[in-house]
Amino acid sequence: MPGIEYLLDALTPINVLLALGGVIAGTIIGSLPGLTATMAVAVLVPITFTMPPASALILMGAIYTGAIYGGAYAAILLNTPGTPSAIATTFDGFPMAKRGDGDLAVTLACLASVIGGLVGAAFLLMLAPPLADVALAFGPVEYFWLAVFGLTLISALSEGNLLKGLIGACFGLLLACVGVAEISADIRFTFGSQTLLGGIETVSALIGLYCIPVLIDLVATPDKHLKVTHQPRGFRFLESVAISWKHKLNLLRSSVVGTLVGILPGAGGSIAGLVAYSEARRSSKRSEHFGKGEPEGIQATESANNATVGGGFIPTLVLGIPGTPPDAVILGALLIQGVRTGPNLFTSEGSIVFTFIYGLFLATILMLPVGLIIGRYAYKTIITVPKAMLVPTVGFMTMIGTYAIRNSISDVVIMITLGVVGWVLNRFGYSPSPIVLGLILGSIAEQGFVQAWTIGAATEDLVGMFFGRPISLAIIALILLSLFYPLIRSRWLGGTRRKVRAD
Amino acid sequence: MQTDNHSPPAGRDVGGMVMAVVFILVAAVSLWDTTTMADADSYVFPRAIAIAMIAFSIALIVWNLVRPSPDDGSPVEGASTPRRVGLVAAMLIATALMPYVGFVISGLAVFAAIMGFAMYDPWTRFRVIVYPLVGAGIVVGFYAIFAELLLVPLPTGLLFD
Repeated sequence: MPGIEYLLDALTPINVLLALGGVIAGTIIGSLPGLTATMAVAVLVPITFTMPPASALILMGAIYTGAIYGGAYAAILLNTPGTPSAIATTFDGFPMAKRGDGDLAVTLACLASVIGGLVGAAFLLMLAPPLADVALAFGPVEYFWLAVFGLTLISALSEGNLLKGLIGACFGLLLACVGVAEISADIRFTFGSQTLLGGIETVSALIGLYCIPVLIDLVATPDKHLKVTHQPRGFRFLESVAISWKHKLNLLRSSVVGTLVGILPGAGGSIAGLVAYSEARRSSKRSEHFGKGEPEGIQATESANNATVGGGFIPTLVLGIPGTPPDAVILGALLIQGVRTGPNLFTSEGSIVFTFIYGLFLATILMLPVGLIIGRYAYKTIITVPKAMLVPTVGFMTMIGTYAIRNSISDVVIMITLGVVGWVLNRFGYSPSPIVLGLILGSIAEQGFVQAWTIGAATEDLVGMFFGRPISLAIIALILLSLFYPLIRSRWLGGTRRKVRAD
Repeated sequence: MQTDNHSPPAGRDVGGMVMAVVFILVAAVSLWDTTTMADADSYVFPRAIAIAMIAFSIALIVWNLVRPSPDDGSPVEGASTPRRVGLVAAMLIATALMPYVGFVISGLAVFAAIMGFAMYDPWTRFRVIVYPLVGAGIVVGFYAIFAELLLVPLPTGLLFD
């Protein structure tokens, strides 16, 4: 393990202040729907140009990790993922907030984010060079199967009606095809409309499908947004620690999943969160409670998405290939600083890299007090603000946040339209989550599928391409397990009960 | 205000089946659109998805006809439809006006309109004065953060060019 001198370098007052400031700025930016972690890092990158490289990296890492966690607030309190990484946080976070446990959900998310962040940073510190090889082992077909694995979450999100979930996912996959095709550059499903030419931006679609239906329903009745208990309950920190300890395996597994998915270039926090959620649900004794306000769901997503921060830095620093979109921005900033990433970075620029990694640990630990305080404030604000102020504020934020993603009015129109579509579909039992899942995974699945098909056809080994590679086979096994595990488990439990009764 | 009146759950999920028919139409239109694409790389994936969507939608309809199940939608009793329509219309109109009147004016207008639709308490003198002032502060504050700090080129409108 690298020496203590780097730890001391990371703990200089200026680095501690940068880590604290970065986490605060990142958490606030991440909590606003429409402002992603990528945007948070990109906007604040210019102020790092005059800093020493290690301090610049610490600031950017702190902003990044804070922004990923900040996305949980809006997900829990408004049913709108502040960043795409927090999609799966909405599944259980919002139901918890609706029943009056929003404060507990926010604290659980904070604890899980800190644990996930620490696990990701630990992998970065100790296993970066060997783990970077994993990124190189993933080809198009592995990405395709990974996307299919993410799609198996539909069975968990369909709330009892798998067919409606599958239809919704197909709708989402078709929406992902709108615009200019990535591989062949054909224009698809625009029907001559300039508005649709740029495609459907994922974050604006997320805001529309999750947030607009909530606003439509909020405005329609005088009922309060969230159930409020009038006894002061503080941070509910000890309760959260007890729950986290009880589900420590879930936290650890989700953190490792998040780190590994983070290593894969282009996969990112949203897929990490979805895969970890799917695995947590599959292995939980309370799987039937997932989607209805189960703390394990929040823990899985939040630990996984924060673990992608450390995981994403592995290929970024070792191979010069950004693991996640914010890593691409950070990589650019490093190049401007004159730091050459690559396999020799850990030996040639050890002082920069290891000081940064210890700084990432520091920022993640600072996220605990910062996250708890900001989370408490966010929760109190949401439950005390009158509806006549809350609804227009959130409505206005959705518009400005969506516009800011690509400086596009078309995106705002698409966001509102998708919101209405999502509300109508929800009325008829079609949940928005499978649509979102299809939309996010669509481009990854299509790109992987088409590239793998082309390579397979060229080598005249299509079957071998899709079913003959070891990593693909492992993911296929996980897909089958994820799909049929509930059936196997219910059969097994049924058999055990019959045996007990017979005894 | 007009309110929704929902009948108790029917024996069949009629709404779900109607939406399945809509999805079949969406998939059919998508399939037709893929015929205009020249490159197989462009149409293979969406065509496969559209066919799967038609198959799942037909399966849903058949399943509901064979084994009736109640509507599993989420209607809200006593909800106001005009307020819902007003919210969406206000947001769409404000977005359409944005290039002409600028972000600040359209933002103030949509904030005021939604505030009106979301207001269920009586308009006391305090609320009449404080709520619009706070609303204007939020709109202008967010505009300043996005336009000045984050350098997002928000529309200034033809009136101010």
